[in-house]
Amino acid sequence: MSARLHVLLGDGGVGKTTLAAAYALALAARGGRVALLGIDPSHRLQSALGLSLADGTARVASPEPSPPDGELHAALLMPEATLRRWATEGIADAGERERLLHNRLFAVLADRLAATTDVIAAVRIAEWLESDPSLTDFVVDTAPGRNGIEFLRRPTALVDLMHGRLLGWLRRAGEPSPVARRILRGLSHIGGIQMLAELGELAGAVQRPFRRVADRLERAQAALHDPATEILLVTAVREDAVASSHALRAALADAGMAPSAVVVNRVLPAAACDEIARMDETSCDGAAAALARYLRAYAAIEARVEAGARVLAPGVVALAATTGLDGDSRLARLAELGAHLCHALDPQAVRPPASAATRETPHV
Amino acid sequence: MRPLPRVVFVLGKGGVGRSTVAAALASELARRGERTCIFGWTVTDPIAPWFGLPPADLMPRAIAPRLHVANYRLDATLELYFVEHLHLPRFYRRVIDGVHVRKLIQAAPGIAEVFFVGHLWWLTTLAAKEADLHFDRIVVDAPATGHGASLLDMASVLASLRGTGLVGVETERVVGMMADPSWTGAVVVTLAEELSAEETAELVPRVTSRLKRPPLGVFVNRSVARALGDAPEASLAAFAERFSLAAREGVETVITELRSRVVFERALREALGPATDRGVTSLDEQLMAPGPHEPIDVVRGLRDAFGAWLEAP
Repeated sequence: MSARLHVLLGDGGVGKTTLAAAYALALAARGGRVALLGIDPSHRLQSALGLSLADGTARVASPEPSPPDGELHAALLMPEATLRRWATEGIADAGERERLLHNRLFAVLADRLAATTDVIAAVRIAEWLESDPSLTDFVVDTAPGRNGIEFLRRPTALVDLMHGRLLGWLRRAGEPSPVARRILRGLSHIGGIQMLAELGELAGAVQRPFRRVADRLERAQAALHDPATEILLVTAVREDAVASSHALRAALADAGMAPSAVVVNRVLPAAACDEIARMDETSCDGAAAALARYLRAYAAIEARVEAGARVLAPGVVALAATTGLDGDSRLARLAELGAHLCHALDPQAVRPPASAATRETPHV
Repeated sequence: MRPLPRVVFVLGKGGVGRSTVAAALASELARRGERTCIFGWTVTDPIAPWFGLPPADLMPRAIAPRLHVANYRLDATLELYFVEHLHLPRFYRRVIDGVHVRKLIQAAPGIAEVFFVGHLWWLTTLAAKEADLHFDRIVVDAPATGHGASLLDMASVLASLRGTGLVGVETERVVGMMADPSWTGAVVVTLAEELSAEETAELVPRVTSRLKRPPLGVFVNRSVARALGDAPEASLAAFAERFSLAAREGVETVITELRSRVVFERALREALGPATDRGVTSLDEQLMAPGPHEPIDVVRGLRDAFGAWLEAP
């Protein structure tokens, strides 16, 4: 059986990275062989796990006292290193390899643009799946907001381009077709002949390595569109949460996908919300009054966000706010949080965690 | 201290409130009589709806006196550039909008970023003549950190390509805009919590090295330092005791989180104060203000902080 993909999407700051780490730990704790890839160029996954990661994968020690069979391997996407590695491992001829690495367009792509991350991420997933067929789960922490969606969308656009005619014309100097000539002449006004020649050279040089990359891109696409793939829309108790989740769902729909569940992160327990609503603010002063106003506003936003979430996906999971995620016991706290998430998403498959920190909204 | 440049990039990690801060800064500038435009790069413009209007597109939409908002879209920008600016409608339709080049534009990373900064240049120069758009100030609601900071890289990316033709012309323009401290500057928004603080600590030197000058300032959004900074621990514990046992754990979790914001803010001030032009400024947690707490109320609540910031000696 091939690994199941779990993709966490959501606005910045809603807790995607923390939840991805927590979820991956919990999937490993229940016996899975789990891969966790951080795509976000800001590399926050390291801090969430309290580890230093690199392009290579690192095994994350289990926080459980008696580790079960499960294993978690985590990695960060390092676009520069990965791109250079692919380009060179696919080219046998040393001269050809040098030409590619010295191509200015290639250097710009490899070093400067956060946008290349999107494509590389998809290929990296396929590469990892290929190199470790025994994986049971693959958790992906994406970049925030629309950039998270780009990684689902751009690979298709790239495969399309590589199969298209433009790059073929650029590779073959002195092409015969009048249509091609007109388009190339037009493009040369934009960037100059030199730049067009370099684009042609780049297209030629990556031709061979790209065949493998394109193949992996297509497999990544297939994996993302697999009906078993779980897409979690993560949101937080924030005024803008409902609007941005709707925008993300629409962008997902454009890519032919739909969220499996919405996770509302950092909610207050129901009992607290009730009492906050009944609280008499006039009896508070100073810091207590500020706290009272804060809690009341928070509970009101929470109610709106949960109501809004229910129309977004078949399942809504509310995860209680938790502390200790930045201290020494962070892995244990993360695993606990992840266990709650696992149970809420799949109550049949997992034993309920000891304390009930989640509030589940019945499936619609 | 430098005067405020014509274009101010608002940078920061996702979720720290970049759009809110951009809107508050722009509102304050507009209130002071400047014609101001917020230029955002989001899936759907969030700001115009806060003012009760439909989301803005590439063409600026007036949302308050002297205040406009526009939202970037690559295809509309390409059309504007080739048809309205270069007067090449046939070239646009046959080459740029043709199926093969369209594929290249959709797939190639970086093109959207290049045209974003190109459009910014246009907004601050030729837009007055070519489109009757007159702005004294542009506040850029940039994408989240990595993607936002790569916008500042665009000048050097373009320069390293050494293109001729149109790219050459555009390169010179954008490089000139980014290098000029009276034209371009950046502010960084952060939250006082672990992951944001960490990302901000990396972003500030990155901005400094790209622009070859420090950010104008750092804003700690949702600050509770003023409200809770001096509150004795016992008074906060007493507050939690008003709640039943079932509710107390949740309330205590919130209090713990708020108190940690005070600690992180202190650390941020120490680390980043000297690294910026105008230092670190706190923006108070608006959920602690008497309601309502709709986005427009939050924007108005933060506006005064920017008044003080703009007037700082």
